[in-house]
Amino acid sequence: MEIPRNDPLQSARTGFLSSRTSQRWKRYLIAYIFILPALLLYVTFVLRPTLEVFVLSLYKWNGISPTREWQGFANFEKLLADSIFWQAFRNNLVWLVVILFFNVFVGLVAAALLSMNIKGRVIFRLAYFLPVVQASIVTAMIWRWIYNPDGLLNSTLQAVGLGGLTRGWLGDFTWALPALAVAAGWASFGMSVVLLLAGMQGIDQSLYDAARVDGANYTQTFRYITIPGLRNVITIVILLAMIGAFQAFDIIWATTQGGPIRATEMLATYMFKKGIMENEYGYGSAVAVVLAVIILGFATINIILRERGDD
Amino acid sequence: MTDPQFDARRSATQQSADRVRKVMGQALVYAVLIMLLLFAVIPLILAWFTAFKTSQEVLFNPYGPPIPPHLDNLINAWVQGRFSVYFNNSLIISVADVTLMLIVAPLAGYAFARMRFPGQRPLLVLFLIGLTIPVGAIIIPLYLTMRDFRMINTHGAVILADVALAAPIFIFIMRAAFKDLPGELEDAARIDGANEFKIFWYVMLPLVTPALLTVALLEFLWSWNDLLLPLVFLTSDDLRTMPVGMLFYRGRFSVDYGLMSAGVLIISLPVIVMFLFFQRSFVKGLTGGALKG
Repeated sequence: MEIPRNDPLQSARTGFLSSRTSQRWKRYLIAYIFILPALLLYVTFVLRPTLEVFVLSLYKWNGISPTREWQGFANFEKLLADSIFWQAFRNNLVWLVVILFFNVFVGLVAAALLSMNIKGRVIFRLAYFLPVVQASIVTAMIWRWIYNPDGLLNSTLQAVGLGGLTRGWLGDFTWALPALAVAAGWASFGMSVVLLLAGMQGIDQSLYDAARVDGANYTQTFRYITIPGLRNVITIVILLAMIGAFQAFDIIWATTQGGPIRATEMLATYMFKKGIMENEYGYGSAVAVVLAVIILGFATINIILRERGDD
Repeated sequence: MTDPQFDARRSATQQSADRVRKVMGQALVYAVLIMLLLFAVIPLILAWFTAFKTSQEVLFNPYGPPIPPHLDNLINAWVQGRFSVYFNNSLIISVADVTLMLIVAPLAGYAFARMRFPGQRPLLVLFLIGLTIPVGAIIIPLYLTMRDFRMINTHGAVILADVALAAPIFIFIMRAAFKDLPGELEDAARIDGANEFKIFWYVMLPLVTPALLTVALLEFLWSWNDLLLPLVFLTSDDLRTMPVGMLFYRGRFSVDYGLMSAGVLIISLPVIVMFLFFQRSFVKGLTGGALKG
């Protein structure tokens, strides 16, 4: 007598369970469908090429012949002995120093001044940010014009009686690199002003009030409250400068293309010449691997810091 | 012991000294800020001025405002400089990029924010890696991939690569936006019998329009300004975007400052107009998205 009473219940329960499982799998399927377009694009055009650049760097290949010639780490050995590679690496570091000056020093000064009780703060911030949204080709063209022998910089120098300093800046072996890096600084410092300003506004105001009660002056509060409070943001600004410095390509390609001689050669321009223009896919990829490892490292630290800052 | 009169006198002189110091400090602050403002803006304004000058004026009045303004350079750049063609190509790529991104990123971001499924964590980490990969470093295999797909010299190559490369950052932006929405909405819609897609489309998506705007603006900005991908993928001059077109005619544009400035103006005007309209979204998106490698 008890069995028939139990049976429908039992079947109902298993039926309920199986429908719930299928419902759950339907929900999973929908989630996968939602992700699929992004995943497909990302795997095909980002992830696979990223893995492939490491593989390519171990071969010698002109891109046309059906067989690639296995090289092991020969490309990297060649790279370490390649004086142009080291010159490019040094140039990236010089670029970095100039960019750090603009993004950290100039950025901090501007943000500190803007965080005071300033009239027209919105206008200043807007103006500083305007170069950030410009195309790199625009930055390159404008600054090439400024640096021309008859350009704005030389005219200004002449007007203030420093005519002896005039030169064709981008044709000058010593000055071409820092001159272009200044253009990159111009195009990026507005970003760090905004980041640093936001960081300053996030510092607990009561710390400043307490310091004022204790008789601290502006320099002291800046040194002991503002800077420590900004530690995370400053680190991010520095990392962004590092990532940007090692990716430097557009402004140089649109102006000097690495010249005069190799004075403005960068890792990215050297890789572009070898890999894309001279069809040395293996060797170009080896340069790209070095580039990738450096930037991946900085970018990973950046993300970890940000994630921590968000908590 | 204290002389009240002396104290009063001292504090009075001190006050006026303080005031002088304060005014001078203020003047210094504004001087530095204005110098930086000129540094940021003068190169742009000079280029915009030059765009409206004849070659005579460029020589004899290189830095003054163009009075009266001439449109010759803009017309020259547009017609002989082929900016009409380049502008079209830039527009096609940017609009396609934005459209595709507005489909791809919200879908994935929504799944990561509001659904539970096996493999969620690893997939999220996979996209997180994408935030650190620089375009420059993978351009060689990316070029080979496009060659294998026979897509070299098509706008499609630039569009697909643009969207794929920027997808991770926008997925994270959309994920954050969807995460902030209350769960009750979703539950209510589900009880009313709406399916997952309807919930996404009719209930959740309208609530994240600010994030969608950020995605659209940034994707437009990046694709509009991009140099490397169109440079590598587009070999025919009829398909080139404005930055690449300008790069290839660098010789011609560099001799003729008026023409060069006209090109600069045509490239940057749409961006600047958008920037002035949506300043807040731009700044927030760019600084929030500044972690993009």
